[in-house]
Amino acid sequence: MAVDGIDLQVQPGEVYGFLGPNGAGKTTTVRMLVTLLRPTGGRATVAGFDVAREPQKVRRKIGVALQEAALDLLMTGRELMELQATLHGIPAKKVHARAEDLIARVGLSDAQDRRVGTYSGGMKRRLDLAMALIHAPEVLFLDEPTTGLDPTSRATLWDEVRRLKNDGTTVFLTTQYLEEADQLADRVGIISAGKIVAEGTPAALKAEVGRPHLDLCFDGDADVGRAREVLAGFGEVAASPADGVDLSIGVLEGSRAIAPVIRALDEAGIVVGRVELVEPSLDDVFAARTGSHLEGAGAAPAPGAATV
Amino acid sequence: MSRSVTVIGALVRRALNEISRVPGAAIPGVLAPTIFMLGLSSVFGKASGLGGYHADFRTFIVPVGLLQGAGFTGAATGVNLARDIEGGWFDRLLLCPAPRATLLAGVVASAALRALMPGTFLLVVAFALGVPVPTVTGLLIAALLVMGLACVMACFSITIALRFRTQQAAPLMQIASFIGVLFTTSYAPKPLLTDWLRTASDINPVTHVLEGVRQGFIGGVEWQHTWPAFVALAGMIAVLGTLAARGLRRYGY
Repeated sequence: MAVDGIDLQVQPGEVYGFLGPNGAGKTTTVRMLVTLLRPTGGRATVAGFDVAREPQKVRRKIGVALQEAALDLLMTGRELMELQATLHGIPAKKVHARAEDLIARVGLSDAQDRRVGTYSGGMKRRLDLAMALIHAPEVLFLDEPTTGLDPTSRATLWDEVRRLKNDGTTVFLTTQYLEEADQLADRVGIISAGKIVAEGTPAALKAEVGRPHLDLCFDGDADVGRAREVLAGFGEVAASPADGVDLSIGVLEGSRAIAPVIRALDEAGIVVGRVELVEPSLDDVFAARTGSHLEGAGAAPAPGAATV
Repeated sequence: MSRSVTVIGALVRRALNEISRVPGAAIPGVLAPTIFMLGLSSVFGKASGLGGYHADFRTFIVPVGLLQGAGFTGAATGVNLARDIEGGWFDRLLLCPAPRATLLAGVVASAALRALMPGTFLLVVAFALGVPVPTVTGLLIAALLVMGLACVMACFSITIALRFRTQQAAPLMQIASFIGVLFTTSYAPKPLLTDWLRTASDINPVTHVLEGVRQGFIGGVEWQHTWPAFVALAGMIAVLGTLAARGLRRYGY
């Protein structure tokens, strides 16, 4: 059994991150929700319609970009978009304009008259997304949309997801990348072996397993005792920091605490050699709930991410 | 209704688009019936002297080539569908809100149109070689029956494609047209067939379709050969169309 009694609810306009390792049941869940696979039990509604009893109504409300970009490589991007528009019942007079608009939106205007077979992986993904949006769906399902993409293409897709959210589209995003769920999702459901093991906002889930803290290393023979005194007002200073760390301080504000901490130390004449913000990750949440780690945890660095 | 026609038209255009994009893939299917006709009429040309043919051997087997073309096209439809399944395109198709019957009709209708390509090429070569040109009615009936048989074979191959979901099932998709056309009066008139083959051809509905096509080339169009052909065709479309629709429901409800 790939999925075993999942119970979840996604609010309109929400980006819901569905996170789990390979084989956890993510794709099976999506295929049931988008009416490609009939559930053997239970009940699911999408946009107010029962997926088993009213699949046609569900299909009118949803857009889907499946794990593999399903494209006809012999057709051009524009032809595919126009075919998709026709299949979704868009009136012939509006087909061309709608296709042009979405092609431009995903940055493929220059390539729209080329056969899709000549597109890069990122371009295919963007076209796939544009096709999923052709009928302005209320709910968009993205099944591991950035798997295998380069950071630039990933950033483009992330931006588009954020834009869709701003437009009020509900997005059901499955991913095995923690960073992706963390960056994009309003709420996250973590699935393991066909069951939901954790659900909530990324911040709330991470707060359940620990607080963010700063690990500090000082240059030269800095007075660690004096540093403790300076930072006492910023948060709880750990009694015994980890190996290689001079001082560790809990900071509820996360990255926003870095600048004030360094400024205070600088004013006290203490030179900071290295500072690292250590935050609990969704992988820590997964580990806390299942005892194991997500496959590929951290394998998808955030586009433009940097270590301070 | 008009929306369904639009969707069917879009699917047919996509299928025809493939021919223009990869003409090389269509060439074998277009040439094969003509090559069969030329080869067989050269080898067995004198068989018509045995009696019962009422025409030269080449004229006698031109209708067989037309049905073979329909069979090849129908089987190719299933292979293309299996390719779409493997590539994920078919899932995209199933996600559109058009009724399943419309999607099926679009795929099948493309086979009907594509079947005219090998048939047209065959007829051009056959007429150039001296095969008598049928009347307009005879040609029209032949075209309709060829298109109908392509739909039948497409329904069969689609059923297989939906069941096995791989292009590796292609030989299985072709078997229906091979058996269907072979176990008829394709290469010899009924009196010359062995007992078992005569029985098989009596049972085989494709025999009626073949004779319906053949009447335009030999003799003349007669109602007694026309209605059984269309009834047989309708029966096959009903049975195999139902199987294909059932396969589609099982694949994605």
